[in-house]
Amino acid sequence: MMTASALPQFPWLSVLIFLPLAGALICVLTRERADESRWLALATTVTVFGISLYLWFHAGDSSGAWLYYEDVDWISRFGIRYTLGLDGISLLMVLLTAFLQVIAVLISWPQDKHVPLFFALLMVLEAGLMGVFMALDMVLFYLFWEVMLIPMFFLIGVWGHERRRYAALKFFLYTLAGSLVMLIALIALYLIHGEQTGLYSFALSDLMRTDLSTTQEAWLFAGFLLAFAVKTPLVPFHTWLPDAHTSAPAAGSVDLAGLLLKTGVYGMIRVAFPLFPTVVQKSLPLLALVALIGIFHAAWGAYRQTDIKRLVAYSSISHLGLVILGLAAWDLTAWQGSILLMTTHGITTGGLFALVAMIRQRTGTRDLTELGGLWQCMPNLSAFFLLFALASLGLPGLANFTGEILVLIGTFQSHPIWAAIAMFGVVFAAAYMLKMVQGVLWGESKRTFDCEDLTLREWLVLVPMAVLVVWLGLYPLPLLKLLESPVLTVIGGMP
Amino acid sequence: MSETLLFLIPLLPLFCAVAIMLFGMRLPRLFAEVLAVTGVAGAFLLTLLLWPYADGEGTRAVLFTWLNSGSLDISFAVHFDRLAAPMTLMVSGVATLIHLYAVGYMHQDRDYARFFSLLNLFVFAMLVIVLADNLLVLFLGWEGVGLCSYGLIGFWYRKLDNARAGTKAFLVTRVGDVFLGIALMWLFALTGTLSISAINAQAATIPSGVTLVLCLLLLLGACGKSAQLPLMTWLADAMAGPTPVSALIHAATMVTAGVYLLCRLFPLISLSAVGMAAITAVGALTALYAATCAMAQREIKRVLAYSTMSQVGYMFMAVGAGTVTGAMFHLLTHAFFKALLFMGAGCVIHLAGDENDIYKMGGMARRGPGELVWVFLAGAISLAGVPLTSGFFSKDNVLLMVYTHPDPLYKIFWGVGVLAALLTAFYTFRLVYLVFAGDYRGSGTAHALPLLMRWPLWVLALLALVGGSLNLPALVGGHERLQHWLGDLAGRPVTVDHHLEWLLVGLAVVLVVLGWGVAHWRYARFRNAWDNPLSRFLLRGWQADAVVDRVLVRPFQAMALFCWAGIDRALIDATVVGMSTRMLSLSMLLRRLTTGRLSSYLAAFAWGFLLILGWLLLQLVQGGGHA
Repeated sequence: MMTASALPQFPWLSVLIFLPLAGALICVLTRERADESRWLALATTVTVFGISLYLWFHAGDSSGAWLYYEDVDWISRFGIRYTLGLDGISLLMVLLTAFLQVIAVLISWPQDKHVPLFFALLMVLEAGLMGVFMALDMVLFYLFWEVMLIPMFFLIGVWGHERRRYAALKFFLYTLAGSLVMLIALIALYLIHGEQTGLYSFALSDLMRTDLSTTQEAWLFAGFLLAFAVKTPLVPFHTWLPDAHTSAPAAGSVDLAGLLLKTGVYGMIRVAFPLFPTVVQKSLPLLALVALIGIFHAAWGAYRQTDIKRLVAYSSISHLGLVILGLAAWDLTAWQGSILLMTTHGITTGGLFALVAMIRQRTGTRDLTELGGLWQCMPNLSAFFLLFALASLGLPGLANFTGEILVLIGTFQSHPIWAAIAMFGVVFAAAYMLKMVQGVLWGESKRTFDCEDLTLREWLVLVPMAVLVVWLGLYPLPLLKLLESPVLTVIGGMP
Repeated sequence: MSETLLFLIPLLPLFCAVAIMLFGMRLPRLFAEVLAVTGVAGAFLLTLLLWPYADGEGTRAVLFTWLNSGSLDISFAVHFDRLAAPMTLMVSGVATLIHLYAVGYMHQDRDYARFFSLLNLFVFAMLVIVLADNLLVLFLGWEGVGLCSYGLIGFWYRKLDNARAGTKAFLVTRVGDVFLGIALMWLFALTGTLSISAINAQAATIPSGVTLVLCLLLLLGACGKSAQLPLMTWLADAMAGPTPVSALIHAATMVTAGVYLLCRLFPLISLSAVGMAAITAVGALTALYAATCAMAQREIKRVLAYSTMSQVGYMFMAVGAGTVTGAMFHLLTHAFFKALLFMGAGCVIHLAGDENDIYKMGGMARRGPGELVWVFLAGAISLAGVPLTSGFFSKDNVLLMVYTHPDPLYKIFWGVGVLAALLTAFYTFRLVYLVFAGDYRGSGTAHALPLLMRWPLWVLALLALVGGSLNLPALVGGHERLQHWLGDLAGRPVTVDHHLEWLLVGLAVVLVVLGWGVAHWRYARFRNAWDNPLSRFLLRGWQADAVVDRVLVRPFQAMALFCWAGIDRALIDATVVGMSTRMLSLSMLLRRLTTGRLSSYLAAFAWGFLLILGWLLLQLVQGGGHA
């Protein structure tokens, strides 16, 4: 791996990780000061977002090499290095993380329980996510992977809604089980590689060159894939997600759907696929099958929900199914679509979760059987709700469509049947989304509550997301360009 | 660069829609109304102004690239050609009249901003379909009109049934969209492009079996938007929307999008004889099916909705018989007289005090301006196909082309079409008699008709009567102008001897007289509706909704229940929770985790975390230095 930074050797990537950690530390140390920690969190996340934008604008040409790269010797006894790298794919994920984290802080503004700790955990979560998206050493990757898990556990368990303990524990056990299997597989791979070459290293680029027998490769791949499949989540490892979402506070839901799920997909792209290229090719049809089942299973599940938060959670699983289908197609267009869809899904679903929180705050319920007629008294909020719902059901001109159609067109090139079946997902998506819109916005309102339309803070949350939803629906070209060469690097050119 | 001006045709209504959406409620009502009409009228004037660009091969203009990935390259591009130009003119022209009418119709509704914004947005999306240079941009408009239709059917959302009708329309048409989407992907896989003209140019290289499947996929896609069998159930319910919406979206423009799509890809679909026969069959069956339903409806707008379905069926027949001219001719004349009829119906409903039931009407002319009966009649005779009206020429042309198709199978389709024409004459005059003849039978108080609701009708009445001159057949000394204008795009020309043509004309006249005669006998003097199993069956559209409910909706819901309660809850969760409880009970430590206070060991976690972090940092410092 080469060092190809357009910048002087300033460790910007480390700043992306340690700035939120520092913010978190200050928050914890100055506990009991609620307002200061809110502003501190906002300042930190905005700065991080600014830095990631800066990195994007100065990224230069992305042909082949890493856009940014940092490499420091760490624990040489075990061949562990502190290696961070940023290519187009990870840059997009970093941008998404930084953006959504600002949103998460803004929508958590009314939070009034252990405020400093809450925002500290949000920032630790951001650090963990940034680390996962940039780490190129597997120990580092695993470390961040676990760092990410713990704040989310507490966000759900302490600040969550009903049944939060059950949900937090379920989330914890599922992901922990997944990551433990990954850890075992990782150590096994490390040892095999070390024995073969005499070079004990956790560097991803070294481990990729391990010579594995078919059986070894299959087992190790399964170990990694399980961790990522739980996180994504792929059916049948998905039932922790609706519970986690239902119980999580608003910011937790935005982060879960917008970011945590993406680490699963990202792990496949960055780690699992490059490490085990032969077995991946063989398992693609199976992956596609699971993805297809997931699209429809989760859509049916979503249709059945009356809790709108749970409904949106199920819709996430369905969307992620399409993302995985695109990956399974192993085609440039489909991959670009998948990664684009990951990004846009983060924004539309984030917007929906934010709105669900606002609705719950006003009406005291998230139940479709008790909601209704919101348009009458809060047209602005309702208009945003409609916009994000339409984007989520894949209306052309809005964000998700561009990713979806690229996945479908790309998949159709090599696997027409998969794409044709997946196409029916759009009817399913329309069915559950319109059911939700109908239950929330239309009809007469069934209970009395304050008819307070959006506040200034809420406008600040929703307008940037809405702008992105329209922008990415009409002009996703900059992102597609960003993705082209790293995707080609991973999938090895057009097959 | 003046061809870039072509973009203004769709973008003008879009800008107005956005402006009304953002500022409509904050500014005086007049602002929204003027803006709405300006946007659409501007598009109409621009189309006239830019008409020369349609000549020859037409003109292309590219705005910017939308998607680019591998060999896929999609731009926001328009193609203004001989097929698009008349369609653009009709859409923007009829839309202008309907917008003017809507200003009058909605003058008491407080939610005007949402209404006009959606109406303008609809015109934008429709013009995108018409002008799209590639299939993906067309798809954008295609789903866009679906969205606006959804929003406008459910415009009066406080009544949940209206919202439900909107949802139904969106879902049913989206089923069609899936097939269009599959066709789109397949065409890209085959030709490496989504440009409509490039696909048409390469159509001959596609294997014939594939062409047939593509043809059927496109047909299904078209069926969704155009409310043809089997995806027709949404249209009658769509009448829940305000009447100008029914006139614009569910009669004149959106429901003809399917026909337009098939005309656009005519060079492709015409390569499959079986596919063409399927299109004709769907058209003929729908024409008959909807005509029978229209005979039994009680609500004035539902009569017209089924009639629309039936007339669009004729357009499908024309496409299937190989004549784009015939389809477009009937599409244009139908837009005139059906928009007229809907707007007339809106006036009638106003006069009847918002009563929809034609059995509670009668003598409506005497309750309002006397001219109403004449303009309505102009639309009605055109629909019924009374000689020399526009509908007579266009429908006759369709039937002629179906009859003269070399395939003997088409004679059957022709027979079905003729039967449907007879029923059309009957239900049209039934409607006229029930609404205008005799005395008023209802109890509503008439609302006054604003002037804006009256004079657009005159324009359309004139067009409905003389619109036949667009493509007057040689038989009566016409020049078949539409056929010549469309040139290469026109499809099969008329090549029959005049004897046969006169014979068919004679038959058409007999049909109209027969239909009128039966209607006169039955309804000239008011008698109550037939009430027998057959009429109830027809009233409910052959029980199509019940069938769909049993075959599709309920299985879907059952699957939803199964996936969630059956698999997720009962199978996966129960297994996982069961396993983990057993594991937990083995471990004292973990048991304490579930019973202890979660927040109390938050601190412990934080300290432990800091400890690990500190150690790792120490290692980093010791390891030191860049590699």
